[in-house]
Amino acid sequence: MVKRKNTRMIVLFLAPAMLFYAMVFLYPILRTTVMSFFKVETVSQKVGDWKFSGLGNYFKLFTANMFHASMFNFIKILLVGGVVVLALALLFAVILTSGIRGKRFARSVIYLPNVISAVAMGTMWLNYVYNIDYGIFNNTFTMFGGAPVLWTGPGTLFWSMLIAYSFGMVGYHMLIFISGIERIGTEYFEAAKIEGANVFQQFWNITLPLLKGVMRSNVVIWTVSVTGFFVWGQLFSPVSLSFDTVTPVNYMYELVFGASSSAITERDAGMGAAIGVLMAAVVVVVAALSTLITRRDDVEL
Amino acid sequence: MAKASKFRGINVRKEVRLLPGYLLCAVWIVFTFILVAWVVCASFLSSNEIFSDSMMSSFFTRLTTFTLKFDNYAKAWGTHNVGVYFLNSLVYTVSSCTAIVLISAPAAYVLSRFVFRGNAFIQSLLSVAMGVPAIMIIMPLFGIVTALHLMNQPSTIIFLYIAMNIPFTTFFLMAFFKNLSPTYEEAAAIDGCSPIRTFWRIMFPLAQPGIITVSIFNFITVWNEYFLSLVFANKSQVRPVAVGLYNMIQSMRYTGDWGGMFASVVIVFAPTFLLYIFLSERIIAGVTGGAIKG
Repeated sequence: MVKRKNTRMIVLFLAPAMLFYAMVFLYPILRTTVMSFFKVETVSQKVGDWKFSGLGNYFKLFTANMFHASMFNFIKILLVGGVVVLALALLFAVILTSGIRGKRFARSVIYLPNVISAVAMGTMWLNYVYNIDYGIFNNTFTMFGGAPVLWTGPGTLFWSMLIAYSFGMVGYHMLIFISGIERIGTEYFEAAKIEGANVFQQFWNITLPLLKGVMRSNVVIWTVSVTGFFVWGQLFSPVSLSFDTVTPVNYMYELVFGASSSAITERDAGMGAAIGVLMAAVVVVVAALSTLITRRDDVEL
Repeated sequence: MAKASKFRGINVRKEVRLLPGYLLCAVWIVFTFILVAWVVCASFLSSNEIFSDSMMSSFFTRLTTFTLKFDNYAKAWGTHNVGVYFLNSLVYTVSSCTAIVLISAPAAYVLSRFVFRGNAFIQSLLSVAMGVPAIMIIMPLFGIVTALHLMNQPSTIIFLYIAMNIPFTTFFLMAFFKNLSPTYEEAAAIDGCSPIRTFWRIMFPLAQPGIITVSIFNFITVWNEYFLSLVFANKSQVRPVAVGLYNMIQSMRYTGDWGGMFASVVIVFAPTFLLYIFLSERIIAGVTGGAIKG
């Protein structure tokens, strides 16, 4: 670090970024938080017309059926999706760092869905993978003598959506795991090999404990992505909100901007703000918990 | 790479041990390939051919007889408005990516190079922004934009894209400036170059590898962005590709031009896909660099 006094330059160089930050992050975050405690009908309503309602918006949310469904779906995505995605990502990361041939190629292909627009990916899944007559899933099933499945029916729609979403996310989390594994010194594994440890013993006793910090990053990043879960819900239920695919952001979009249908007739920006605060709270809680759990006996790499 | 193996050739025992790993990777990779290949094939066929069991054979017939339906692309570009969305996205992406770097790089430089009060605080503010759900900020922004009558303005959308990507870009570039040796600045100072000039003439060009990597990232993020543009660009003339494609797919229910729809999908993902094919190593290195910092 250069310790010369250079206040003018520091201010000049930071000002534009900070100005953007204040306008697009700081002010909106504060305003949304305040708004969640007021009865506000439309977003553009003047602050003078806001009526203080305490926790009213939150109570209203907790009695709304659609919100229950959205939170239930959110938790399923967060937990079930999280466990499956992170497990698969870790599995691929371990496979690709075990001296396999074509590592770079495999890594690139598995990450690929992350660079493609979610709308484009969703279209491929809905029109091809899940198609009942010629879709790749049903074709594979019938080839092995199974019966075709209706992937986008009432009971399966949610899981189909989760599979399509998770498929793309695996590659991203895999890359983070790989970089974590590559920072573990090879001497640990060599020592273990000399001691006669097999692949699984090496994984449980070396890789996993040393990846705690990386695991924490992955859990937090996953949580942040899931709180923004929106476009997949829209793609899988395009006409109106459905209990199968609604997530908090889909519900909030309907409440505040009331786009597509008559599922919700009244506008309520205050409730929308409360949903935003709840989602932010989830991120804060997960980040704090994971720090607490991993810090206890952290190994510095 | 082949550090564990003592032999340059094939170590049969090792390869056999890795077989389950190979199999799993192969299944995943083949699936991904089929997914992309299918939509590319479908984009050259008529609706009837797409919805038949002999889709692949009709594709090869058309391929060998030079009758691939390129007019699907013409229709997508013109009739279905994808051309408009594409050019909108191009303008939004190129202008915001340039501005993001010009704003973030100086901030990153100062944060990584100078000791001053509030440095750590600003850094933690930036890291908070990377975890804030978009729904936390969208409503006040919508309020401001409607109050100022700036809805459906390309400049509004570009402004938001710039702001949204500043925290990540600043963090990413901080790591790059940290790794540059301070001898450059010392030499420049001895030659009488002012610190601001030193930054633009020497440090900024030196950080070029990082700037290019982060710009590729921002390009992909902005090109695929959906939620903000859904709210702030609800007119066809200003829509970027992601929202444009979504709207097109919804209307496809009634028009039934499936070939045109898949052609649109291909047009929308082609730019980021091609970028990735040529620059995947760079992008992958960037993911891990950026994520660990964040």
